[in-house]
Amino acid sequence: MGGLTSTSKGLYNKGKIGMTFKLPPGLALQKVDERIMTLNVGPQHPGSGHMRLIVQIDGDYIVACDPDPGYVHRGEEKMAEYRNYILNIPHLERPVIHDSCNVLYPYVLGSEEILGIEVPERAKYVRVIASELNRCIYIMYWLAIYGIFLGHSTMFMWPAGDRELLIDLMEKMTGARVTHAHFVPGGVRNDLPPNFEDVCLRQVNYFEKRIKEYAAIFYDNPILIARTRDTGILSRQDAIRYGTTGSVLRASGVDYDLRVKEPYDVYEELDVHTNVMKEGDSYARSKIPWLDMLESCNIIRQALQKMPKSGSVRTKLKPNPKGKGLDSVYKRVESGRGSLGCYIVSDGKVEPYRVKLSVPSFRNLIALPNLLRGEKLGNMPSVYWSLNYWPVEADR
Amino acid sequence: MLKDLVTPENANVFVGKLGDILEKAIGKPLGYAINWGRIWSLWPVHIETACCSVEFGAASSPRYDVERFGIIEAFGSLRQCDLVVVQGTITRKMAPRLRLVYDQMPEPKYVIAMGACAITGGLYFDSYNVLPGIDGIIPVDVYVPGCPPRPETLIQGCMLLQEKIKRMKARKFV
Repeated sequence: MGGLTSTSKGLYNKGKIGMTFKLPPGLALQKVDERIMTLNVGPQHPGSGHMRLIVQIDGDYIVACDPDPGYVHRGEEKMAEYRNYILNIPHLERPVIHDSCNVLYPYVLGSEEILGIEVPERAKYVRVIASELNRCIYIMYWLAIYGIFLGHSTMFMWPAGDRELLIDLMEKMTGARVTHAHFVPGGVRNDLPPNFEDVCLRQVNYFEKRIKEYAAIFYDNPILIARTRDTGILSRQDAIRYGTTGSVLRASGVDYDLRVKEPYDVYEELDVHTNVMKEGDSYARSKIPWLDMLESCNIIRQALQKMPKSGSVRTKLKPNPKGKGLDSVYKRVESGRGSLGCYIVSDGKVEPYRVKLSVPSFRNLIALPNLLRGEKLGNMPSVYWSLNYWPVEADR
Repeated sequence: MLKDLVTPENANVFVGKLGDILEKAIGKPLGYAINWGRIWSLWPVHIETACCSVEFGAASSPRYDVERFGIIEAFGSLRQCDLVVVQGTITRKMAPRLRLVYDQMPEPKYVIAMGACAITGGLYFDSYNVLPGIDGIIPVDVYVPGCPPRPETLIQGCMLLQEKIKRMKARKFV
């Protein structure tokens, strides 16, 4: 907070403020400190989520914004140090429960390498299907909240309703609605239920047809375009410099998807297309996840076709598996929000020595103060939530 | 006759007695009516504390639609709300804010503790930054177990709360 005040004052003293925020015509910049009002947005606010934004406004324009995350810091990395590799699974998926397969993926890949386990071929395909279904579930929830942030209630109801169909599919597959705990070191917990392939194919085809209708109500809607076009523009250079990932990076024109650049499991055998837009504004950032969902449907269809029809899905572990000695591994995957990394250090005991999650939400949050400077206060929700940010994950 | 009884000195006492008599006479039927009104217009505060908010959001989705039971979607101002659904883990940073939100709400107010974390700390019982349950900071009316609870469970919890309000004594209505 102190840092923020000094920065904004410094900006004013240097007279550079005219470059970064637009004043209505006829208003002079005098007695700057009296004109500035500080607003607390959150944690109790319909437009904030589990975090607080300290926003300084001049009239209707945002002068500075200081995000204050950390309201859901639960010490998951510390807790991982006194649980063994299997017991770590449930609490490491809690940061993003509606994307639980993807958030667990790097941990499982890393611990497999540390424990030295081979994964059966069929399990890899099951993982890809579960991961892509979960990505769709995550993006649908994100889209629902984005709609309600912009005051578009239909866009809350449609994705929230259609999301339940995929949740049913995941429930058939794993037994739980949102917290699946389905990926384990050595494969997946259960084989697919009988007749799952047909049901999944039918459901995914219907889902794809359904989300194409969203274009008419949401993405081609003139009100949405007016509110999101040219707001919060993140240039290609800035997107790379701030270290943003995922849909935010791809909306700024960087062709970067870990499923293509660093394929894990069986992604190199699948044909994955990366969606890129060049604008870098809120509209592009809100459209990229929707295009990703269409791509996910393609991947699921390919995986269902190429999957071995029978075989084991899990390599059995010995009780209390141990690492081979001093060892460390860093694995990352493309989650619903961007590249999600997990760094595991083992010292040969049953518990990992250190588990560090490198989460995409926190990386995308770094860009927020720069995107909001000079915007109108009314554009704050559309810019903030277009960053594909989930506060619980950022706080870990 | 009434004029002789009431003097400026004992007017307050007299009005108080009158209130008591009124409450005894019509307290029960009027209280029932007031409680009936409270039951079908519970306004939750929009305070998301942890990951259970995903299932809280799903409870207002078209499939579950908690609004048909009289729980309105959480978009109102804090000063109009009368229900706090504590959606999961309360950390040491969030706890003062939760208490502040609770204190700012007008009476009557009800609390639902949603999820294992809000009840006992749940999965994070041994974490250094998590409170072992919220009943240390605010009084809880209904506990909804689960990690996270399904939307059906949350709806059942809301209906239990409505049952509880129906049997409560409506105070401070005159």
